[in-house]
Amino acid sequence: MADKKAKVIIVALLPVLVLGWLAFRAFENSAAYYYTISEVLVQEMRDQKLRIKGKLVKDSVNYDPSIPLLEFSLADQDSQVDAVYAGVLPDNFHHADEVIVEGKFNSRGQFTVSKLMLQCPSKYEGED
Amino acid sequence: MHYIGLISLYAAFGSTLLALFYGGRASSSQPKLARRANLISILAAAASTSALAAAFLTNDFRLAYVARNSARSLPLIYKLSAVWAGQSGSLLLWLLILSLFSLAVQRSCRLRAEELDIPVNAVLGVVRLLFIILLLFVTSPFEVLPDPPHNGSGLNPMLQSLGMVVHPPLLFIGFSGFAVPFAIAVSRLWVGDSDSAWLETVRPWVLLAWVFLTAGIVTGGQWAYSELGWGGYWAWDPVENASLFPWLTGTALLHTLLPKTGIPARKWWCCALIVLSFSLTIFGTFLTRSGVLDSVHAFSGGAVGSIFLAVLAVLLVFSFGLAWLRRDCLREAGSERGSTSPLASAVLIGNILLLLLLGGVLFGTMFPLLSRTLAGREIVLDESFFNQVTVPFFLALVFLMGLAPVLAGSSGGWPGVLKQAWLPLVCGSAVGLYVTFAVGGGETAALPFGIAACGLAAHLRVLLGRQPRFSIGCTLVHIGLLVILVGVTGSSVYTDDIFVSVEPGQAVEFGSYALSYPGLTPRYGVDRYTVGTTLSLSRDGRDVGKLTSEKTFWENRSQPSTEVGIFSTFKEDLYLNLAGWEGQTAQLHLQRFALVSWIWGGAWIVYLGAAMALVGPVRAAKQGKQVKAWGRRTFS
Repeated sequence: MADKKAKVIIVALLPVLVLGWLAFRAFENSAAYYYTISEVLVQEMRDQKLRIKGKLVKDSVNYDPSIPLLEFSLADQDSQVDAVYAGVLPDNFHHADEVIVEGKFNSRGQFTVSKLMLQCPSKYEGED
Repeated sequence: MHYIGLISLYAAFGSTLLALFYGGRASSSQPKLARRANLISILAAAASTSALAAAFLTNDFRLAYVARNSARSLPLIYKLSAVWAGQSGSLLLWLLILSLFSLAVQRSCRLRAEELDIPVNAVLGVVRLLFIILLLFVTSPFEVLPDPPHNGSGLNPMLQSLGMVVHPPLLFIGFSGFAVPFAIAVSRLWVGDSDSAWLETVRPWVLLAWVFLTAGIVTGGQWAYSELGWGGYWAWDPVENASLFPWLTGTALLHTLLPKTGIPARKWWCCALIVLSFSLTIFGTFLTRSGVLDSVHAFSGGAVGSIFLAVLAVLLVFSFGLAWLRRDCLREAGSERGSTSPLASAVLIGNILLLLLLGGVLFGTMFPLLSRTLAGREIVLDESFFNQVTVPFFLALVFLMGLAPVLAGSSGGWPGVLKQAWLPLVCGSAVGLYVTFAVGGGETAALPFGIAACGLAAHLRVLLGRQPRFSIGCTLVHIGLLVILVGVTGSSVYTDDIFVSVEPGQAVEFGSYALSYPGLTPRYGVDRYTVGTTLSLSRDGRDVGKLTSEKTFWENRSQPSTEVGIFSTFKEDLYLNLAGWEGQTAQLHLQRFALVSWIWGGAWIVYLGAAMALVGPVRAAKQGKQVKAWGRRTFS
C-alpha cells in the first residue's frame, strides 16, 4: 500500500517538476521589469527587457507611414525618454492618456519598443 | 421608466430575502411559499433588466448610464447590447442570467423530484443577493442625472460589433452556470448527504456552463480577430486568462463526473473542482473589475473589485470549512473505491494536467502582482512565457483526449488499449512525418498536427460504429477541439505579413494572390466620416473576391476606429489593415494566417456535440418525471 502511494506521488510530482522547469526556462526571455523613467535614466540597462509607463510628450510624435516608423517621447514628472517603434501608428495614439512600452535600449540610448500599449481615458467604460 | 427598474431591483431584493427565509431551513416546511417568492424575484430581475433596455431603446438620457453608453444615432441592436457595455449594466445582465438559472433549477424535474430545488435555490439566492446589493448600493445603472444631456456620448466604436452583442452574454451564462453545481454541492453537503447519487444531477449543469463558457471564449477571440486589427485571437491578457481558469477546472470536472470512470476519491475530486470552478468565476470577475493588473480591456476600477475579492475569501473559507465538517460524506463507500483501469488513470492524469495548466497560467497572470509585493519591482511576463509553459501541457492533454474512445472502449487493461491504439498512433505519426518532410514548419507544426490526426482517427472509428461505448455527443466535442487545435497550430506557425505603400491602379503580389488597389473612397454618415478602400483579389488571373478596410472618424470621439478586411478560405485567411494614407497613396498592412477558419468551424462542432450530449440526459429526466410526478407542471 505504501509502495503504491509512493508511486502515485512520484507520478504526480513529475508533471509539477516539468511545469516548474518550463516556467524557469521561459522566464528569462519573457520577463519585462517595470521601471519608472527617472530610474532607467540613472541606471544603465542595455540588455534588460523593460516595461516603462509614461505620459506622451504631445509634440514629440513623429510618424513615417511608409516604413512604418513611429518616434515619440515619454515623460514622467521630471525626466523624459525617447522611443522608437517599428510599427503602425495605433488609431488612438495621440489621445492616449498614458503609454506603456516594452522593449530594450539600443546603442544610441533610444528605447526600442517591441510592444506598445495605450491606456485611454475611455478604455471600456465612459467614466474616468 | 427608470423608476420601474429601481423598484424592481428592490422587489428582487425583498423577494429573494423572503425566498431565503422560507427555503433556507433544512427541512423546508413551506416549499410553495419559497418557490413563489423565488419566482417573484426572478420576474423582478427580468423587469429591471427590461426597464434598462427600454431606457436605452427610448433614448432616456436622464439615466447617467444610458447617457454614457448610447446616442440617438446608435443602431438598434447596439442600443440593446449597450445594456452590458459598462460595469453596472453587465452586473444586471449577470443577475438576470443567474435568475434564469434559478428558474431552470426550479423547473428541473430531477431536482424537483426530491424537492432539492428549494435548498439549491436558497444557495443561488445568496449569490444573487450579492449582485442585487451591488446594483442597489454600489454601482447602480439607474442613477439619474440632474441635468440630462440632449444626446448621449455614444458607444465606444470598438464595442459596436456583433462580437459585443454575443460575447459578454455567452461568457456570463458560462460563468453563472458554475453557480448551480456549487449550489447543489453546498446544499447536499449542508445536510450531510453521504450518498453520491447527487453527482449525477450535477453533470448536465456543468456541461451547460462549460459549453457556454467555451462559446464565450471563442467568440471573444473571434471578436478580437475581426475587430482589433492585430490579427490575433488570443494574447494571454489577464482578462482572457480569467475566462480560461474556470474553463480548465470545468473541463476536469466534466470528466471526473463521468459515472463510469471510477477514479479514486471521485467525490472528493468533484467537490473540490466544483468549488474551484465557481470560485474562479468570482476571482475572474475580481481580476477584470479591480484594475490590479494592466489589461487592454479591464473595466475601470472602483469598489466592485475589492468586494468580489472579499466575497472570494468568504467563499473559500465557507467551502473548505463545510468540506472539513462533512469530511465523512466525502469519503467513498467501499463499493465505490477507485479502479486502476486505463480510463480512470487517464482521467486522473488529465485532471492533474488541467490543474497544472491552471497553476501555470495563474502564476504567469499574477506574477506582476507577486513580484510587486515580494520583490518591490513589478515584473511582467509576456505571451512567450505562457506559450512556452502551456503548449507542452496542452499537447499532452489533447493527445490523451484523442485516445479517449480507445481508453473508454478497451476492456483488457493497458495491453488492450495498445492493441486498439496502434492504428490512430500510426495515422498520427504518418501525418507528423508528412508535415516534417513535405510541408515544413518544424516540430512546432508536426507534433500538434500529428496529435490531431491521431485523435481524429481514434474518434472517426466511433462515428463509423466501431466503438460502441462512446457517445456521439462526446465524440463530436472531442473532434471539434481537435479541429480547433489544427486551426490554432496552422494560424500560429504558417503566417506571413507585408507592409506596402501603393498608388491607385497598382497591384500587390501576396502569397498566391494579386491584389489591385483602386484608390481611397470617402463616405459620410450622420456622426462619422469614413475613408476606405476595396481591393480586388485575383488568383491565377481569376477574380476571387474583395477585401475592404476602412478608418472611421467620429464626431464626438477623438479616436478613429479601423475596420479590417478579412478574406477567409478553408486554407487561409487574408487580413488587410488600412494603416494610413497620404493623398491617394495608401499604406497597407497585409497578413496571411493559415487555417484560421478551422478554429471557428471546430467550435461549431463542439457546440453541436455538447447539445447532443445535453439532450440525452434531459430527455431521460423528462421520461423519469412522467413516472415519478405525473402531471405536476405548475410553478408553485
